[in-house]
Amino acid sequence: MIRGGRSYVTSPPSFSNDAKKLLVCTGNTVSVFSAATGLQITSLEGHTALVTTLIVVPASTPAQKILCYCWTASLDGTIRHWDFSGPELLKTIDAQLPIYSMVIPSLLSEPQKIDKRRELSGKLVAFVSVEDISVVNEGSKELRGHIRRFNLAKPRVPRGDTLKETAEPESIVISPSGEFFGIRHKCKIHIWDVPSGGSRHAVSRKMTLHHTKVINAFAFHPTERVIAAGDVTGRVLIWRGFGNRKLALGNQKKKVRATVDLDNPGVRGEDDTESCTTWHWHSAEVNVLNFSSDGAYLYSGGREGVLVVWQLDTGKKKFLPRIGSPLLYFVRSPDPTLSSVVCADNQIHLLKMPSMEILRTISGIKPPPSLPRMYEGLASTVAFDRSSGIAALCTENYCVQLYNLLNDRGISEIQVCERNHQPGDEITVVVTAVALSLDGSVMSTTEVKLPEDGIGGLVSLKFWASEPDSKTFTLSTIVYEPHRDARVSAIAFHPTRSMAVSTSFGGDFKIWVCNSDKKQTDKDSSWICHAVGSYKKKPMTAAAFSGDGTVLAVAAENVITLWNPDKNILLSVLGTTLTPVTKLCFAGKSEFLVSASHFPRPELSVWNTSKLSLSWSYGLRIEAVTSAVDSSAFAVLAVIPKSFKTDESNENIFRGRDGAILLFNGSDPKPVSIWTVIKAKGGSISFLEGDKSQLRLAYVNGSREYVVFDPNSDESHERSAVDYDSLTGLEETGDAGYTSLYGQLPDYDKKRMEDVDSLATPFISSERPWETIFSGSTLNFPPLQKLCAEFFESLMEKRTAVVE
Amino acid sequence: MEEELRVRLNDHQVSKVFPVKPKSTAKPVSKSETPESRYWSSFKNHSIPNLVSSVSALAFSPVHPYSLAVAHSATVSLFSSHSLSSSRRFSFRDVVSSVCFRSDGALFAACDLSGVVQVFDIKERMALRTLRSHSAPARFVKYPFQDKLHLVSGGDDGVVKYWDVAGATVISDLLGHKDYVRCGDFSPVNDSMLVTGSYDHTVKVWDTRVDKSKWIAEINHGLPVEDVVYLPSGGMIATAGGNSVKVWDLIGGGKMVCSMESHNKTVTSLCVARMESAETRLVSVALDGYMKVFDYGRAKVTYSMRFPAPLMSLGLSPDGSTRVIGGSNGMVFASKKKLRDVVEEKKSLSLWSVRSQVDETRRRALRPTYFRYFQRGQSEKPSEEDYLVKEKKGLKLTRHDKLLKKFRHKEALVSVLEEKKPANVVAVMEELVARRKLMKCVSNMEEGELGMLLGFLQRYCTVQRYSGLLMGLTKKVLETRAEDIKGITEFTGLLRNLKREVNQEIRIQQSLLEIQGVIAPLMRIAGRS
Repeated sequence: MIRGGRSYVTSPPSFSNDAKKLLVCTGNTVSVFSAATGLQITSLEGHTALVTTLIVVPASTPAQKILCYCWTASLDGTIRHWDFSGPELLKTIDAQLPIYSMVIPSLLSEPQKIDKRRELSGKLVAFVSVEDISVVNEGSKELRGHIRRFNLAKPRVPRGDTLKETAEPESIVISPSGEFFGIRHKCKIHIWDVPSGGSRHAVSRKMTLHHTKVINAFAFHPTERVIAAGDVTGRVLIWRGFGNRKLALGNQKKKVRATVDLDNPGVRGEDDTESCTTWHWHSAEVNVLNFSSDGAYLYSGGREGVLVVWQLDTGKKKFLPRIGSPLLYFVRSPDPTLSSVVCADNQIHLLKMPSMEILRTISGIKPPPSLPRMYEGLASTVAFDRSSGIAALCTENYCVQLYNLLNDRGISEIQVCERNHQPGDEITVVVTAVALSLDGSVMSTTEVKLPEDGIGGLVSLKFWASEPDSKTFTLSTIVYEPHRDARVSAIAFHPTRSMAVSTSFGGDFKIWVCNSDKKQTDKDSSWICHAVGSYKKKPMTAAAFSGDGTVLAVAAENVITLWNPDKNILLSVLGTTLTPVTKLCFAGKSEFLVSASHFPRPELSVWNTSKLSLSWSYGLRIEAVTSAVDSSAFAVLAVIPKSFKTDESNENIFRGRDGAILLFNGSDPKPVSIWTVIKAKGGSISFLEGDKSQLRLAYVNGSREYVVFDPNSDESHERSAVDYDSLTGLEETGDAGYTSLYGQLPDYDKKRMEDVDSLATPFISSERPWETIFSGSTLNFPPLQKLCAEFFESLMEKRTAVVE
Repeated sequence: MEEELRVRLNDHQVSKVFPVKPKSTAKPVSKSETPESRYWSSFKNHSIPNLVSSVSALAFSPVHPYSLAVAHSATVSLFSSHSLSSSRRFSFRDVVSSVCFRSDGALFAACDLSGVVQVFDIKERMALRTLRSHSAPARFVKYPFQDKLHLVSGGDDGVVKYWDVAGATVISDLLGHKDYVRCGDFSPVNDSMLVTGSYDHTVKVWDTRVDKSKWIAEINHGLPVEDVVYLPSGGMIATAGGNSVKVWDLIGGGKMVCSMESHNKTVTSLCVARMESAETRLVSVALDGYMKVFDYGRAKVTYSMRFPAPLMSLGLSPDGSTRVIGGSNGMVFASKKKLRDVVEEKKSLSLWSVRSQVDETRRRALRPTYFRYFQRGQSEKPSEEDYLVKEKKGLKLTRHDKLLKKFRHKEALVSVLEEKKPANVVAVMEELVARRKLMKCVSNMEEGELGMLLGFLQRYCTVQRYSGLLMGLTKKVLETRAEDIKGITEFTGLLRNLKREVNQEIRIQQSLLEIQGVIAPLMRIAGRS
């Protein structure tokens, strides 16, 4: 079982002391990447919830640069100390509350101050930002976020002492010298100084800076008393000489004149700073602020995806434009020529520093594009190359990202539309669908240019041919307005030949063939329209080729039509469904055709194309259907209706999971296995067939996390017990449940007794065969024996549910 | 692999500029280019000034420099095959029907419609011999391949005459054809064997050594024979008659080997071509204006080329470098192949110019004091095993691209309108739509610019390729700028034209719909049956 697609950008990454490794928080683990190649070296596994903070113990002497120690804090309430060269877990401290942020000032302060003696004597103090859920019920104001001091060396007083309470847990920012730390809280910045005295009872002194806008980010100057803060309107404020009065060092304490306030330019109210200047370049909120290591420059960035370098003395600017995604973090490395910038699209760019060139990119799986409402859930934005395990994913910046699911690594990106993406701009061009042929050699994409005031809209269909050596695609054919101005609803590829079909809401479908079928050179291959078909001018909503490619099934709203794709002859018409079909899929090489529809009444139906009749159907809302090539197995991704989830008895079964993958075999209406999953909406599934003819199932959920597993082997079940619980929340709910449901009754009872809570009881009412068996024409009824058996079975099953 | 991956990812992230490009249009399905078609299309056209009337015959001299004799009207012109310039003219009393060089290229014979065969020295104006015996127009004259003393001629009297040139006497009359004799050829391997073709549909094989004037073999082409040639082996002949070209095996008893019937009109002339690869092809020209190259070994037409006139005669120089086709309108379509021999010539030359080469190398020893020293090696050609590093091509931005880059949208639209390239204008408009700025541009346009836009819309809004965008835009422009347009007199003419264009388009669409209505039931019936 392979799990991946985790977000790299939940919290800032950190460089190792030799700047050769980059540590990235990836979900419950910390992944260590090589800065030279951008590939993952190892990972630190142990936390059971999201890792929120990562602190690499800095090297004080050049000799210590090889040391690889780090601290991590996580939402599971533990702080862990690691040796990441190993990787090895050295120490675990239980803080008992979910930690959102942590700083350890003593690691940063002057090197001579830290020595073994002191650390042992309990000088290793951390300040943590935790969420205290217990307070919620007591206080009238819900101040759940706490800033606390926490002694890592002597975790005897686990709760620490609280410095500040806020409504939400805030992230703590520490000055590079380790003297100050602070949090932002709405329009204010609270700053504390780290008590320098030996005693741990020394109270930190606090000061506050005010602003009129909500502050998004702030940073401390490495040497001077300068704070830079960015607000939601895009302003960058620089406060110089903060805390001269309130946070003055003990021995240098002077009486400062009270009149100072009057000649402090730009300083608001009683704030304890000498001056405040404002720089305004960003048009949207500032998310990234960081000083260079010598303090001469300030880096800022925000939603525009532009990294701005300010010369601190003069305010002159330099830019790294067109990163194409909102910036989230900017991290310096110990090596002055290397730094990294983290973007919201799950990319970590390593920058060569003075010139700000992007050296290389650690590319995570990109988040799904935000489609306009009318395109949601229509065409799939994820396609799978079944043999190599590569997924093609539509992304926000008009690209298709090729992502290797088996290695958890981005391969390349293909620019579908020749446009630059600017985050925050109005969406005018959308890549609506991507499809891959079965052998992965041809990709097809559709894009829509949205019209302005009703003019200038354009739909285009593109065919891409894969480069043989490298895993990227080159444009082979563009078809403008493939179905006049109607949108493309689905694209499907022929399983063996280079033939594709595109269907449109305009009421026709077109079969495209590649004219280089017999030629060896792919260079000048192009796709041309082979045939056009329509059925009673009804909108065509889905299409699928049969396993051997001799039959093409096209759904014309709620009628399924079967065609001969070569001769373009209508073979026959399958009975009507109640609602428009949105997905079609042949169950492998068998004669069964799976259709799914979800508006207004969700339905999953299986048709027998040789008898031209409905075999069975369920009232489930289906997000995705896939079928194995060789066998007749197929799997569907169903969204569990809300009514089930809110049900008291089911709550403990689903635990926040909103979908289920059901594996069927041929005509059998009993699922072979069931897995419940999270974020099923917008997800997709596919079978992967590797070289070893090993059948695996890949599931990519709505936020593009994925899991690849073997649906048949027991081995994966055993492993899943560990893996499932640990991370994304995928879990088995006992695939035996369904077989027991429909199997022999005694067996069923026995199982029920064994694991009541894991039984998939909610599915009883979700599939009610007696509702669908008798719907439709009487000619389409299954044979009597089957019908009766099914009917009685359903009755029996209902009765047991009542008894329970 | 690792290295490659990195490079690509970097490339991707470097900031990109996408110039505004018009939508690509459908390209014709490109023909598969074979080496054969590349060879035949590599001939460069050279014009020969218009001759007076139909070019009835062409002949190349068999020896270097392969001068060319063109028979047109009552004249034979000699051309140099190198420069294709006319060098000498010989005039006749009647229209010249055929011309042929002797094997050494020093003499040529020509016959005219008065029935006279004349032999000329290519260097003298006056005829050396005049052979009178044909009682009707003579149609062909041919020298043997080696023999310098005899020639053969045929004509509308149906008699083929074998001449002794020196004595200007007929050695033998070859009788047998029942209709006009139009063509003939000597065997390339035996100087006494010849074939003649006639309008009585037959091709007869003669042996001049046999005294009895009786043919030794006969082939029936089935149609009046226009031309006949021996193939280089000497055992096969090709005949042209009607629309077809047929290849016959003489040694095998006159069996037909293959037939080519891809011409649409009468094939007028045949020629054997030797390609660079030492393969031979049969080239034919016909009145339909096509030249076809026929690979008789594989029985396949390998190349076809169209000329703008009915073609009468064909000649290929023995070295294969020049191809000449005569048209019925007096045009001579000459074309020359770029010769690689130039290189070889140089090589042979360099043998003699060793000294000059030494001089050159001495001169080439550059020192840093010369400016050329700093440019040395810049024009060096890479050798085969060198690894080539491609220079990155810079992106060329047009004026409107630069303006769009600076977000000066209206100026970009105006500048592209000035260029008068409709595809570019539409591309810029589409880009503006994608930026949601087109309507703003339109509303900000000044009077002159608006006039320019209206002029463009008037001209192109009904063009099918652009109408999807432009029709909507026209409507919007007229709506939003109605009061501005009303006030100005220059626009009334534009608007009138616009209205007329749209009305015309509507009429066309209606008539097309009517036609479709007529056709649809027919198609349905046809599909059903």
